[in-house]
Amino acid sequence: MQSFIGGSIRLGQRQGFPRWNRAQFKSSAKAYLPSQSSSNAVQGTNNSIKSPNNHLLQFLGTTFVSQANGVCSVPVLSPLAAMMSSSSSIYMTTAAFPNMHSSEPFPDVPTRIKFKRLDKTAKHIMQIVDKEAVEEVKRQRDVPEIKPGYIVQLKVEVPENKRRLSTIKGIVIARRNAGLNTTFRIRRMVAGVGVESLFPLYSPNIKEIKVLDKKKVRRAKLYYLRNKMNALR
Amino acid sequence: MAASFASKCSGVGRSLMDGLRNNFANLPSTSREIVCGSFLYQQQRTFIQMRTVLKVVDNSGAKKVMCIQPLKGKKGARLGDTIIASVKEAMPNGKVKKGKVVYGVVVRAAMQRGRCDGSEVKFDDNAVVLVDKQGQPIGTRVFGPVPHELRQKKHVKILTLAEHIA
Repeated sequence: MQSFIGGSIRLGQRQGFPRWNRAQFKSSAKAYLPSQSSSNAVQGTNNSIKSPNNHLLQFLGTTFVSQANGVCSVPVLSPLAAMMSSSSSIYMTTAAFPNMHSSEPFPDVPTRIKFKRLDKTAKHIMQIVDKEAVEEVKRQRDVPEIKPGYIVQLKVEVPENKRRLSTIKGIVIARRNAGLNTTFRIRRMVAGVGVESLFPLYSPNIKEIKVLDKKKVRRAKLYYLRNKMNALR
Repeated sequence: MAASFASKCSGVGRSLMDGLRNNFANLPSTSREIVCGSFLYQQQRTFIQMRTVLKVVDNSGAKKVMCIQPLKGKKGARLGDTIIASVKEAMPNGKVKKGKVVYGVVVRAAMQRGRCDGSEVKFDDNAVVLVDKQGQPIGTRVFGPVPHELRQKKHVKILTLAEHIA
């Protein structure tokens, strides 16, 4: 039994996850039990592994629970778990995310878990981190959608101005999407002189954004307004 | 009409029009932000350097000055820096006359200046306030907005005289 598991581990390492997963679907409960301790060890590393892998491990977690209840559920967990613990060095471990708990709704044991190979996941790990950071900020603050052509009023706390809130009202002429560093430009007339300011959308210094009006524009970057010298406002 | 025509044709056409108008600031190739293809779509505003003509926004008597030396800065002066300038155009009776060499503090620059919180600010023109060697403004009023950067450069007097702090 142990050798069988060992052999399947090596097989899995060579061929990658998904195919192997399907092949091992019907292994017995007995094969499952002895390596339960190793799987428990893997649970410990659960928090440090990124989301696609996290799904798999949570899946492992839920099925462990169901296993304890006497339901003979999915198979392939143990060899997979063992493999994971053995090859944990090639993971990108990031800081534990507090919002990833194991109570993620995972329906009935699906027959096929689709997830990328670890090195493929590593390539867009920055994208995943970025998206999570954006969601984190969005949860704390209500950030409205800002598109070019909107007339917007901001309340900004300027650190150079000794922490006083200044209101900035102007038209959004450009928006640049870059994850957490999404910036937008505002053009306004201040005391007869045109001023353009660029702000990061998710900056903590921006206390409030209010959309006053929406103008119809036919492009994404309204740099032609610089030559137009919009009067007033 | 011209603006809509420019927006209809490609970016190259627009840059040509802009380039013809403002050849001056574009010629020195030192630009701070190299956005790919930016020279086709927008102007790259650069530093204030020798022979840059700036507007004077106080009531010291001068109207236009030409920068002859930026103090501090190998490539040129930015927002909040001091420059040495020569008065090119002056009001008939004012404290400074044409041809005089004066110091000035740049209060508005067309080149964007980054702030510590990640925001940037840029104005539509280049403007300067004449000061003496100690940094005290010669005039008694300042017109137009001034940026917050002056506070850090210790030009508090100009900030108090300003009518709007951008």
